[in-house]
Amino acid sequence: MIIDVDLEENTDKKKIKFGISGFKDSRDIRLLTYNASFEDFLKNWLLKTPWKKFVLFSSIIISILSTSYFFFNNQIILYGDAESHLNIAKRVVHSLTPGLAQLGGIWLPLPHLVMVPFVSVDFLWRSGLAGSIVSGTSFVVSSYFLYRLAYLITKNKIASIVSFIVFALNPNILYMQSTPMTELPLIALFILSTYFFFKFLRNDRDLLSLIFAGAFGLAATLTRYDGWFLVCFEGIAIILYYIDKGWRANGQYILIYLKEKVFNLTYSSSSSVKTINKIKGKIEWVRILEGKFFLFATIAFAGILLWMLWDFLILGDPFYFSNSQFSARTQQQNWFARGELPAYKNIFLSFLYYFITSASNSGFIVFSVSAVGFFVYLFKEHKKEKFLFSLILLVPFIFYVITLYIGQSVIFIPQITPKSFEWTLFNVRYGMMMIPSVSIFLGYIFLKANKPTVKSFIIFLFVIQCLLYVIGYSKVLTLSDGIEGLSAAKRPDAELWMAKNYDYGLVLLDDYARTLSIIRSNLPMENIIYVGNKPYWDVSLKEPEKYATWIILQKDDAVWKAIYDDPVLRGRLFKYFKKAYTSPDILIFRRIT
Amino acid sequence: MKKLFTIIIFLFSILLYLATIKGITGNPDGEYIKKYLKKPPAPFELSPERGRYAILISLVENKSISLSKELADVVYPDVGIYQGKYYAYFTPGVSILALPFYHLGKIFGLPLVFSFSTSAIFSVLNMALIILISRKIFRHPFWISLFSAFTFAFASTAWSYAITLYQHQITTFFILSTFYLIWYYRRSKKYSLITSFFIWFNYAAAIIIDYPNAVLMLPLMIYFFISSFKIIKKRNTSIISLRPLILASSIVFFLMTFLHGYYNYVNFGDWKRLSGDLAGYKPLSEQNLLKKEDSGEFEEFKEEKQVAGYFKEDNLTNGLFTLLFSMDRGLFIYSPIYILGFIGIFTQLKSIDLTIGILLSIISLNFLFYASFIDPWGGWAFGPRYLIPSMAVLSIFIGRFLARAGNNIITFLFTFILFSYSSAISLLGAITTNAIPLKIEGDLFHWKYNFLLNLEFLYKNQTSSYVFNTYFRSHMSLVNYYLILFILILTLSYFILFLGERVLKK
Repeated sequence: MIIDVDLEENTDKKKIKFGISGFKDSRDIRLLTYNASFEDFLKNWLLKTPWKKFVLFSSIIISILSTSYFFFNNQIILYGDAESHLNIAKRVVHSLTPGLAQLGGIWLPLPHLVMVPFVSVDFLWRSGLAGSIVSGTSFVVSSYFLYRLAYLITKNKIASIVSFIVFALNPNILYMQSTPMTELPLIALFILSTYFFFKFLRNDRDLLSLIFAGAFGLAATLTRYDGWFLVCFEGIAIILYYIDKGWRANGQYILIYLKEKVFNLTYSSSSSVKTINKIKGKIEWVRILEGKFFLFATIAFAGILLWMLWDFLILGDPFYFSNSQFSARTQQQNWFARGELPAYKNIFLSFLYYFITSASNSGFIVFSVSAVGFFVYLFKEHKKEKFLFSLILLVPFIFYVITLYIGQSVIFIPQITPKSFEWTLFNVRYGMMMIPSVSIFLGYIFLKANKPTVKSFIIFLFVIQCLLYVIGYSKVLTLSDGIEGLSAAKRPDAELWMAKNYDYGLVLLDDYARTLSIIRSNLPMENIIYVGNKPYWDVSLKEPEKYATWIILQKDDAVWKAIYDDPVLRGRLFKYFKKAYTSPDILIFRRIT
Repeated sequence: MKKLFTIIIFLFSILLYLATIKGITGNPDGEYIKKYLKKPPAPFELSPERGRYAILISLVENKSISLSKELADVVYPDVGIYQGKYYAYFTPGVSILALPFYHLGKIFGLPLVFSFSTSAIFSVLNMALIILISRKIFRHPFWISLFSAFTFAFASTAWSYAITLYQHQITTFFILSTFYLIWYYRRSKKYSLITSFFIWFNYAAAIIIDYPNAVLMLPLMIYFFISSFKIIKKRNTSIISLRPLILASSIVFFLMTFLHGYYNYVNFGDWKRLSGDLAGYKPLSEQNLLKKEDSGEFEEFKEEKQVAGYFKEDNLTNGLFTLLFSMDRGLFIYSPIYILGFIGIFTQLKSIDLTIGILLSIISLNFLFYASFIDPWGGWAFGPRYLIPSMAVLSIFIGRFLARAGNNIITFLFTFILFSYSSAISLLGAITTNAIPLKIEGDLFHWKYNFLLNLEFLYKNQTSSYVFNTYFRSHMSLVNYYLILFILILTLSYFILFLGERVLKK
């Protein structure tokens, strides 16, 4: 039997023939026949497609779709921190004591400042969309410049598109770009600074790129503390770059110079002096290094100095962000006291914790393939800047391993956290910071895979990874942390009660203890008295009736300790207020009218 | 010479399996199994062999897959309940395969021993397949191929599962044979029709043997799919074509799957419901829900069970550690010879083609699949039993390592030492018990939780070996029996490793 159903499409240059002509001589079903010009057409199409525009528009669409999805599933403000970020920004404009001082001295200010115009609109604040706009925009910027960064490294559009796809379809990225968290703004600034920095390393006469790298580095230092590490490493990279450059150009002279300096303290002959002078002339690179380094450092490190100055002026301690009772370090000390800081002073566990966290955030299959790409890049690539590029791309990894080791941060991830711990899921979002690097190295290995079968295999693995997310085998860790992890915001009944019963008046509550959600309780931010409202806060803790109509206490929070634990103030509380709501942890008092 | 050498090795291999096969004379019924054959070391020390044998007895005696109450108690706790009938959680494939052996054994009054020999026969077939793949695909010398097969058979914990009624050796057979068939199908158009029919048949049969095989054999089916495509370049034209046999022969798969679905429908009321999905007899009896089958409580309980939920990425790290390094199940603790298999893979990295890639995918998938399983230990078991298919493939890569290392006495000595250690452990398991608790239980109850427990049984003369218990117990101690077998293995491996090349060249 001969079946021959051919569809022919004839054009001048290309001829494509689809059809079934099975059981003929070869007994094979002919699926597709194409001539060389079709291959050329395909190649040309791939090369001529305006990929930059494609990246830009598709990332905008992806961002809107995923934000809508999480918005309609009521998952934008799952994290306790998410609401805190929104509230900090909100207090700058709407508070009993509005102003920049509401930015505080622990969390870095830039994401909150950027959010300010959006939180002014009450709907955007309460829905969390004010933060989604910032994170979503950061996602689009990240996607666009990740594509460009990948192209800078690979000089290949397809590899760069692969990097973009891996990044933009990562479900952890998609979730976090819908939330008011600060990870996406940092990722955007990390990519931007790295992009311009790599441009500078490729051509060190491109001063504008160096300035941009410094400027985005500055912004990163004012976004998350990870940014501080980034600019430090970029500074180190500049030094290493010029040492390497100088060594390549003048290595033999430097050796003579060192010999003279080390072995002959005084110059023995006039010829020697001449040599030294000659060498001094040759080592002009040192002066270039100084110039470039200080140009970069002046811009990039300014943010760190500004922040310390801010902490000093507002809070009286330039290291308030580290020394205060609200700092991450103090929180980690609590974990340590409970014996639940496993990676502290254990370099192997610090490495393991971050390794698994970043692998789980990237998707372990994607991460494994990318790891191969990294090693291929490191050992097979011939470009001289590969070590510096790798170093910068690994900055998040180094940063988190160090902070875990010194006890400045903590991660609980189910895979390795002991089951005896109270929580096994916390702060896993830190692993997201490696996703841009993972995406780039995956794009690179895709480029280096010279056989179509290997390329197809990489695509196949990526599809499998996506399927594992879809069927729920691989968890979207950042989302899980917001639902069932320690990062999840508490949702006590008290906030529902408050939402129904609050009518008017000022509310005294310890917002740092996250007694209840101001957003979900439907309370106006202007009516809140919290630790940042001086003098209202201090006065209210001594004379509770003076300003507040409502007092919300949670067991052992600052208000409880100050008022409820003090017999005198407790008497005063019951004199002026009546208990309107009681639960095992939370009490709500309303002023007797 | 090659033939003679092969015959000798295979005869000795059969002899070793015979010497260690579990069983007793006669045909024990449910009551007898419950009373006398459950306490380790015994032929029915664990529920997987009890379950499969119970299905077998039920098929023969009651012509039904559902178990009587007496047999359900034998298989407990791996029993599900549906419409008042009891079903073992295991697929019926292994029991069906053992049926002819059971009947044959009945003639000699040894139905149990003959039924258990099913796995041993598949193990011998696996040895042959390893030799075939090693020779034909990897082009290893014959002595290396023999050594690979011998390693899998007697230096891996696969031995312990070749002498009782488990699914692992049969699964391994389907994986290796399918791989070889696809390689052959890819290479030649000769016998394509039969080959492709068998490939599909193997896939469907493997699923009936053990449901996870549907996933474990996926790389092979992808290999089959890719192998059916061809791109031919002629001057300026390229043609992509598909061998139609892959589609035509798939009828075998669909037919078998249809029958499998019908079996599910008849027994469990739904085409998609597997025996493992049934509400458990154990929790139901513990919660006194057995008499309330029509109640909402019972229905609610049933719905809680989700097979897919047993596999999670969260378990991966712990699972990989358990399967590779843990003291209770670690591959490298029980069979360190497989370190050479990984070195073999490493030496192959630069020249990975599709065929090698598929073998590596089988290993990777096997590791990842069971590492993410809620119970990577495989319950009470001897060694990492879920990795037996990977052990077979890794044995071939041990051959790769030896082929790359060349005639190097240090390599041979190193290999021989690792082989000796691995073989000593494997024999210990085969001759005594598979009922080794998990470390967590061992720590809690102060039990030994690895081969040290087997050693205890060895010194106490406790074994479930049919041959030893029937013929040698009154003549020698178990330790002596162990030593005789061990020396035999070492002698054979020494011959293959150190003299194989010279002897076979002659």
